[in-house]
Amino acid sequence: MSLAAEAFVSQIAAAEPWPENATLYQPLREDQILLSDCASSLAVQAYLRMLGLPVRVHCRANAEYMSPSGKVPFIHVGNQVVSELGTIVQFTRAKGHSLSDSLDDVQRAEMKAYMELVNNMLLTAEMYIQWCDENTAAEITRPRYSSPYSWPLNHILAYQKQWEVRRKMNAIGWAGKSLEQVYEDVSQCCQALSQRLGTQPFFFNKQPTELDALVFGHLFTILTTRLTSDELMEKVKSYSNLLSFCRRIEQTYFESQDRDSQSGALDFSKGPSLM
Amino acid sequence: MGTVHARSLDPLPMHGPELGVQADDLDVGETEYEPQQEVLENRDVVVQHVHIDGLGRTKEDFLTYEIADVFRAKNLIDVMKKSHDARQRMLRLGLFRQVEVVIDTSHGEDALPNGLDVTFEVKELRRLTGSYNTMVGNNEGSMVLGLKLPNVFGRAEKVTFQFSYGTKETSYGLSFFKPQAGNFDRSFSINLYKVTGQFPWSSLRETDRGFSTEYSFPIWKTNHTLKWEGVWRELGCLARTASFAVRQESGHSLKSSLSHAMVIDTRNSPILPKKGALLKINQELAGYTGGDARFLKEDFEIQLNQRLFWDSVLSASLWGGLLLPFGDKPTSIADRFYLGGPTSVRGFSMYSIGPQSEGDYLGGEVYWAGGLHLYTPLPFRPGRGGFGDLFRTHFFLNAGNLCNLNYGEGPRAHLSRLAECIRWSYGAGIVLRLGNIARLELNYCIPMGVQSGDRICDGVQFGAGIRFL
Repeated sequence: MSLAAEAFVSQIAAAEPWPENATLYQPLREDQILLSDCASSLAVQAYLRMLGLPVRVHCRANAEYMSPSGKVPFIHVGNQVVSELGTIVQFTRAKGHSLSDSLDDVQRAEMKAYMELVNNMLLTAEMYIQWCDENTAAEITRPRYSSPYSWPLNHILAYQKQWEVRRKMNAIGWAGKSLEQVYEDVSQCCQALSQRLGTQPFFFNKQPTELDALVFGHLFTILTTRLTSDELMEKVKSYSNLLSFCRRIEQTYFESQDRDSQSGALDFSKGPSLM
Repeated sequence: MGTVHARSLDPLPMHGPELGVQADDLDVGETEYEPQQEVLENRDVVVQHVHIDGLGRTKEDFLTYEIADVFRAKNLIDVMKKSHDARQRMLRLGLFRQVEVVIDTSHGEDALPNGLDVTFEVKELRRLTGSYNTMVGNNEGSMVLGLKLPNVFGRAEKVTFQFSYGTKETSYGLSFFKPQAGNFDRSFSINLYKVTGQFPWSSLRETDRGFSTEYSFPIWKTNHTLKWEGVWRELGCLARTASFAVRQESGHSLKSSLSHAMVIDTRNSPILPKKGALLKINQELAGYTGGDARFLKEDFEIQLNQRLFWDSVLSASLWGGLLLPFGDKPTSIADRFYLGGPTSVRGFSMYSIGPQSEGDYLGGEVYWAGGLHLYTPLPFRPGRGGFGDLFRTHFFLNAGNLCNLNYGEGPRAHLSRLAECIRWSYGAGIVLRLGNIARLELNYCIPMGVQSGDRICDGVQFGAGIRFL
């Protein structure tokens, strides 16, 4: 995100309090959404729930194109449209809601480094498996991605997206990797996260931060999504403290809140459960 | 027409090997050079041969339909008239740079005493013509490259290609046109295109990639066009600040539609007519041949012109349209109607009437607009008979309305909604005719019946348009 846009977001955001009708947009949950988008969306939902900010989830087939950055999810708050977790964190901070204010500078730097790790490894690995593993792309990704469109637009858009992602993978040097190498990367990333977490309830002790939301979004989605092979899921499952971390966040922020608010049908948007 | 003399002169000089088509031209060589002169005005003549000189890639059989009439001429005047008509018809085909007619007495062994030979000397267009333009406008510069291949396969088929490369957008269009032999008004064409439009009044950007085939034919005094079109439309926001209503429309859609257009045009000029009428009816049915846009769209345009005293013209026009969505999907912002601007309901900003959200106009599903104009020559008629005739002054009264239909209310409620809150305006101004395609208007307008949300242009308004109310 450019500096100008960042300044714009933080300046305007400060003016108004968080409204009741804030909305999060994501692709269609049943037929369309992909693993990586689902993970990003869940991360944002977890983050907002940790802050106690209400948000309704709306599923739209054209969510990707509605987003100002072309990436899902995005939130519509008042007359503001903000996409992706990083920008949303800044946006909420400008409105006076933050999870990481109690951290010192060193911890904050560390948190940012881990968030980068998750984005660079887990998110990229998800994208790789979705679009670069031909088996997954043909059986799951392309049919799901193109499900809202009619022939021949469905094929055009799916292949266009695949081409775009592959070009990006080329640019960051992932195109030459094999599926095994990618699984190995995921495993290493999980190991780093697992070590950092240790036996704490959250990454930075008692309080959740945006890092917790991000890790939860990705790991929970990987654990609950069926792909052509279970390998990715198995890699994550081998870290028991990460598993219980996911379960803990799910119970604290999704199940209990939904029970409290009695409006589970509207707000419950996470999909399957870990239990 | 005075007395017509036809003289038999030296046989036509032969030039170029491409003339080999007319074998019977060659045996004219041995005529004795004995000038004869006769008055042929009322004498019966027989057209024995019609030659076309200068044909390269044009197929002769295609032209026989155009020249067939010349053989039916019974006297010389007739021959000249029919040859002239044939010349016009040939020029209209768009195959030749020039066509000249030479009428001569017949020569050769089988020549009748009253036999005539008609020779059309044609010069074909080049196989490929190109053009190159640069354009600046809308904060964007672009270069436009055009290629035209007239008469590709020798039967007036035409291929045109246009490519525009801009600092922001690129567009292209490729079209193939084929007229029916002997009936140039019946034609078939195929188009392939990509166009990008930016609509700042809606904060909308639209990219269309499409393919269409159409067939045009005349019936009595009307011209009809049947068309099938498949378009992949991509909508997006022009700016980050676009309203959410426009943002919600972003994304891809596919429109496959069948449409029929009918035109009757008896006007003497399409831009500043002095007499005649125009009726245009357009109907489009989308969704039955695939795609995800499903609607029926009807649209009409009527214009009547009546010449009055002192070279002034009274002109009345009426437009109307209706967009009916099928199924549960609402209509798309790209399909709806827009109204307002310097050549429709004057005094309002471009397409800035009707439903809007945060300053972005969303268009309406039904509209009507009417206009009454009095066109007069410029005061004191400067430049009369020349440059000054491109200008007219006009006094106008425009009115119109645009709204959405909520299909529970019934037709009576819709009509009353269209009748209330009518936007109207009046004023005067100057119209400049740009060729026979467009016009420029500089008007002083007084908008009335302005509703909240409409953007007006009170006072001087300048604009250009192809379609005008």
